[in-house]
Amino acid sequence: MRIAVCVKQAVDEGELRLDSEGSPVLSGAATKMSTFDKNGVEEAVRKKSEAGGEVVVFTAGPQDAKRTMKEALAMGADRGVHVVVGSEDQDALLTSYLLSRAIKASGHFDLVITSEGSSDTYTGLVGPMLAEWLSLPFIGYVRKIELRGPAVTAERALEDTVEVVEAALPVVVSVVSEINEPRYPTLIQIMQAGKKQIEELRAESLLDGAPKVGSKVLGMKAQSVARKKVIFEGDPQDVARKLVESLRAEGVLKR
Amino acid sequence: MKLFSREHAQLLKENYPSHEEYEALLSSLSSFLEERVMPLSHSFDSSSASLSSARRELMQKGICQIAYPEEYGGLSLPFGVYCAAMELVGSADASIALSVGIHNTAAEGIFQFGSDYLKSEFLPDILSGKKIAAFCLTEPTSGSDAKSMATKARRSGGEYVINGSKMFITNAGEADAYLVFAATEHGHSCFLVEKSTPGLEFGEDIQKLGMRGTRTSEVRFVDCRVPATMLVGREGIGFEYAKALLNGSRIVMGSICVGIARTAFEKALDYSRKRRSFGKPISDFQLTREKIADMKTAITAGRLLCMHASRLKEMGEEFSSEASQAKVFSTEMSLMVCDAAIQLFGGYGYTDEDVHRHWRDARLLTIGEGTSEVLRMLIASKELARSL
Repeated sequence: MRIAVCVKQAVDEGELRLDSEGSPVLSGAATKMSTFDKNGVEEAVRKKSEAGGEVVVFTAGPQDAKRTMKEALAMGADRGVHVVVGSEDQDALLTSYLLSRAIKASGHFDLVITSEGSSDTYTGLVGPMLAEWLSLPFIGYVRKIELRGPAVTAERALEDTVEVVEAALPVVVSVVSEINEPRYPTLIQIMQAGKKQIEELRAESLLDGAPKVGSKVLGMKAQSVARKKVIFEGDPQDVARKLVESLRAEGVLKR
Repeated sequence: MKLFSREHAQLLKENYPSHEEYEALLSSLSSFLEERVMPLSHSFDSSSASLSSARRELMQKGICQIAYPEEYGGLSLPFGVYCAAMELVGSADASIALSVGIHNTAAEGIFQFGSDYLKSEFLPDILSGKKIAAFCLTEPTSGSDAKSMATKARRSGGEYVINGSKMFITNAGEADAYLVFAATEHGHSCFLVEKSTPGLEFGEDIQKLGMRGTRTSEVRFVDCRVPATMLVGREGIGFEYAKALLNGSRIVMGSICVGIARTAFEKALDYSRKRRSFGKPISDFQLTREKIADMKTAITAGRLLCMHASRLKEMGEEFSSEASQAKVFSTEMSLMVCDAAIQLFGGYGYTDEDVHRHWRDARLLTIGEGTSEVLRMLIASKELARSL
């Protein structure tokens, strides 16, 4: 079985600072492998250990994204394909197109795995768009995958229900974080990852037929929640009653 | 708090051509420590949780394998990379760092002085964390004056019979293998004693000011018979082995203290931005800034001393004075920084265990692995001899 898994080097949301306007400072911000992509890589490596074959990790990002690719290789992927994106504007449409070109150029894959969305922008678009570019069926928000010969059975974690679907391979799936607990590579695996092959493709060589960047981020603001700063006074019983009344009035408590 | 910082990356770049590989390695270790160890630190300190599971995970990740050859499952990386890693572990949790550091001092004894049999039989399991090790030198009545140890090992046919007692032994009772120093007929010798050996006994866990996650107790030897194959190196020169092992270990302990200081500093820095007095953050006050500047400068200086001593060790140069300088400075610096952190936190610093535990943890290390007083004597005698 040949498995392609897509990863993104995302802004480390835990390290973001805000400027005086309340906008995140992205210039020079720390980056890391998008949190949910670790679940994707983990699932790919587990499926390979079940069925044998090869796991190839793909990314479309700047030169520095190799760090993330090496992390995926340390987790157990066999080799990598890095689409090096320069100064081009990059949105989900272009990213998915570049990834699809790189995947097509790397031969036939039975399973293509992405995460449900990236941990920085979380548009959740790359997975389904990738399936469209590859003309493959797409199963989104997957919390369990079972390989059944030439087909796959998947549990989709929807808002109130779990949907079980089956699809013939090849297929694109996006996974949610509950699908597994990603492994921590050992230090030896990290050192060995440095010796695994990473093929480099220039984004500009894949741009023929590419869609125009469809969306442009004009600005970002941190969500701010204004606190009401209500102070209840009195004895504990009285305060508790006032708190419950207030929460009901605000609609937090329904009854 | 991100444990692996820009400063760590810069230091690796200054010292090692393969710095990018080492950055990836330490960055991954840092993520592991942030996610799996730091959230448990408070519970280790309050003894509400055992650190053994997190320690096993850390060892399985490969912390002990960094500076050892591949034939024993190691990574063959420079000692300075191991010390940088131990600084990160010290930042995440001082107790785990101490336990791992001592474990690796025992491993180093087997690696440097042990027979091929001891190395092949024990080293791979100790470096991978399958077996835990302890280092037994200090006795109830001899610490700095280790040469006056009362524990004796008598040769009896193909065995040695050990009698005596060792004190303040980190990992005692948990460890599977004990590197033990004892007086023999022709001087001091070193032995590896397995936990299952009849006559090996352990005292109660000793309550401590800090490093509360580690188990510390007396280790007793009552007609404890070990095969002569468990003699480490040659009979009669065990004390030289102990001195050599402590030289390396002192750089590690210095690095752990740099890590402890760093965490206390980061907490205090963050608090100084948030705590307001007289209508503004206390970080705006000049005397707070003086503290912040002195803390940061001292941490950087400690880190550089540890790296300098590590580099000398890697190059095979004499490094005992530099190792002692790194330990004396870094351990005392850590106390100063942790004390300043308590001061910046004010009443909360004195009462919040997650602030004052850093000072309590650091307090051990101006005593253990060579007191500051003994190390100053060593540094001075080395320098006086050099100037002759």
